Amino acid sequence: MTIYQAIAQALAECDQVKVEQSVTQALADGCQAKAILDEGLMGGMEIIGGLMEREEILIPEVIGAAEIMADVIDKKLKSNLMDEDMNPYGKAVFATVRGDIHDIGKNLVIMMLESAGFELVDLGVDVAEDRIVAAVKEHKPKLLCLSALLTTTMPMIETTIQATVESGIRDQVKILIGGAPLDEAFAREVGADGYALDASHAIKVAKDLVMVSEAD
Amino acid sequence: MSQAGFVGGQYQPLSKEQIITIHSAALKILAETGFTYENGLEEVLDLLSAAGMMVDREAGRIYFPKHIISELIERSPSRVLLCGRETENDLNLKGDHVYLGTGGAAIWVLDLNSGQLRDSTLKDIYDMGRLADRLRNIHFYLRPCIPKDIDKELYDENVFYACFKATGKHVMAGVNDEKGLDTMLNMAAGIAGKESDFLERPFASVITSFAISPLKLCTQSTKIMMAAVRQHVPVALSCAPMAGSTSPITMAGTLVLTHAEQLAGIALAQVVSPGAPVLYGGIPGMANLNNLGYLGGAVEFGIMNAAIHQLAKHINVPNYNSSGLSDAKIPDAQAGWEKGMSTLLVAMGGSNYVHHAAGMLDSMLAVSYEQLVIDDEIIGMSNQVLKGIEVDPEHLALDVIDEIGPGNAFIKSKHTRKHMLSEYYTTNGVTNRKKYERWVGDGSPDTWDRARRIAQAILSESEQSYLPESVDAWIRKTYDIRLYH
Repeated sequence: MTIYQAIAQALAECDQVKVEQSVTQALADGCQAKAILDEGLMGGMEIIGGLMEREEILIPEVIGAAEIMADVIDKKLKSNLMDEDMNPYGKAVFATVRGDIHDIGKNLVIMMLESAGFELVDLGVDVAEDRIVAAVKEHKPKLLCLSALLTTTMPMIETTIQATVESGIRDQVKILIGGAPLDEAFAREVGADGYALDASHAIKVAKDLVMVSEAD
Repeated sequence: MSQAGFVGGQYQPLSKEQIITIHSAALKILAETGFTYENGLEEVLDLLSAAGMMVDREAGRIYFPKHIISELIERSPSRVLLCGRETENDLNLKGDHVYLGTGGAAIWVLDLNSGQLRDSTLKDIYDMGRLADRLRNIHFYLRPCIPKDIDKELYDENVFYACFKATGKHVMAGVNDEKGLDTMLNMAAGIAGKESDFLERPFASVITSFAISPLKLCTQSTKIMMAAVRQHVPVALSCAPMAGSTSPITMAGTLVLTHAEQLAGIALAQVVSPGAPVLYGGIPGMANLNNLGYLGGAVEFGIMNAAIHQLAKHINVPNYNSSGLSDAKIPDAQAGWEKGMSTLLVAMGGSNYVHHAAGMLDSMLAVSYEQLVIDDEIIGMSNQVLKGIEVDPEHLALDVIDEIGPGNAFIKSKHTRKHMLSEYYTTNGVTNRKKYERWVGDGSPDTWDRARRIAQAILSESEQSYLPESVDAWIRKTYDIRLYH
């Protein structure tokens, strides 16, 4: 097992002591902070993402692991990392659409994407379309993530996407949607770029969308 | 012969001291942590303020002083009568009297013919109502699923129409808004003859999920609740926190939060309309920590729902809660053990109005006709436990024992024939006790097969409408009814 695999494994087991020890060891051995972050810590979150997808890990453990990762980065790696290293995938703006106050799922996705290397701007819940458009203009994110949990607020996803079209910013950003009543077909119907079934799926889709936009 | 309303209370997960501890802790939460609220509740804030609550509009908090809450909940009736069309289906909700029935806003149905999952429809609400009407151990009909094949604006008139037509048992459902409540009341008054007749013998009631856990008033539902209590329409004050997600992970933490939310709801109802009939509607539940969905079949669901009844009984208000949920996707063994255990625990706990108890699968997401048949059996068997054992001269049968005499058989005795059907639970047919060869000869039907045959047989019986023709015609003229023949 490489030192990076050891770090990843320790993080997947939510063992903060072991993670810190392994990271310290890696730094002492001359490993680059960026490699420790990418292959060690993010590698650990990828293992967790896989477990999440198979519903074989408890979400509070996932949250615990993300907190450990943030803590270890802060204590041991930050001084040796550039901004681009921390957020290689750029910015993502998140909102639960107007009329909807649900955010537990959204917050989980935010946490996972943050651990995966996105920089997050969270607009919160019940966010009107004009606020979302303004935030996209201000932050210039690569990704706009919209969440709706009710069949009654689903239409607001389309309204919000329409608002981005009307204000001329639609092609500046990739739009990813998520929430229990949504699916791929709905995403296509409303003109979104992607749909994520859950937080672990969201990481994959988000990364793919950003890669695509880089290639554009 | 009534098969309902037996007295539970044999299972008491909380000791007297624990009940008092939780009750005091709930009062402390309301006095010190308080509630928050969505926009649009100015009238509620004014009413609560006038009644002595502390409202901090800047911080968005309501604080409920202990002595005021305690005085307000005294006004809530300790007995609520929910009626059937005939008295034999009446629900006398008080003390530890137990009634169980259907319920849930499921979005999928396990198709009776194909066994495949599909969207739930208005016709399912009607057909399930017909099935529930014929099953002896379903004591009321709470709409089991959402009619996804019609527009949301048409829900209330169509849901109540389908239920009223399908069954003579008590009907309960949520409504979209205050207009929906008026629709229900108008339709019910039309069936009863006039509104006062209906309110005297209310054969329908509503659910309002007034609290969004943790500790937040929902504008829409609270307004509906207020309209209901003002008109004395019986209403279940529902809240359903999920341990680990919208309430603390611990059972005690979830119970105290649920109890606090109910105390606030009951207090508000009594401020608005003193003496209005309400049901304490706390349903303590659990989050599925693997996917954050609603967890159905954990044994602790049964434990907590028995405990919450003890808390409702402590403040002398009849309660509405749940049992019989399962995470099984089909009517299989998992559904059997999860539902069997939770329904038995909650019935023995003494809960008054136990919904979700028949027909649900995949926690809150699906309903199944076959499962309704199976759950009817589970409820029937659980009820039997509440009946207990009769020990009197007739049942001791001393003279029979003496008459038959040592070494002889009781199979020929008249006493055996006299008591054999009333002494023991009679299956609805889904339980198979035949000899092995007979079972094989019948096609080796498993539980799902046997339940399907029963459901199909009942549904193929001629339809009996519980709406007189003139009333049916009037409803169809007044409202946009989408249930076709």
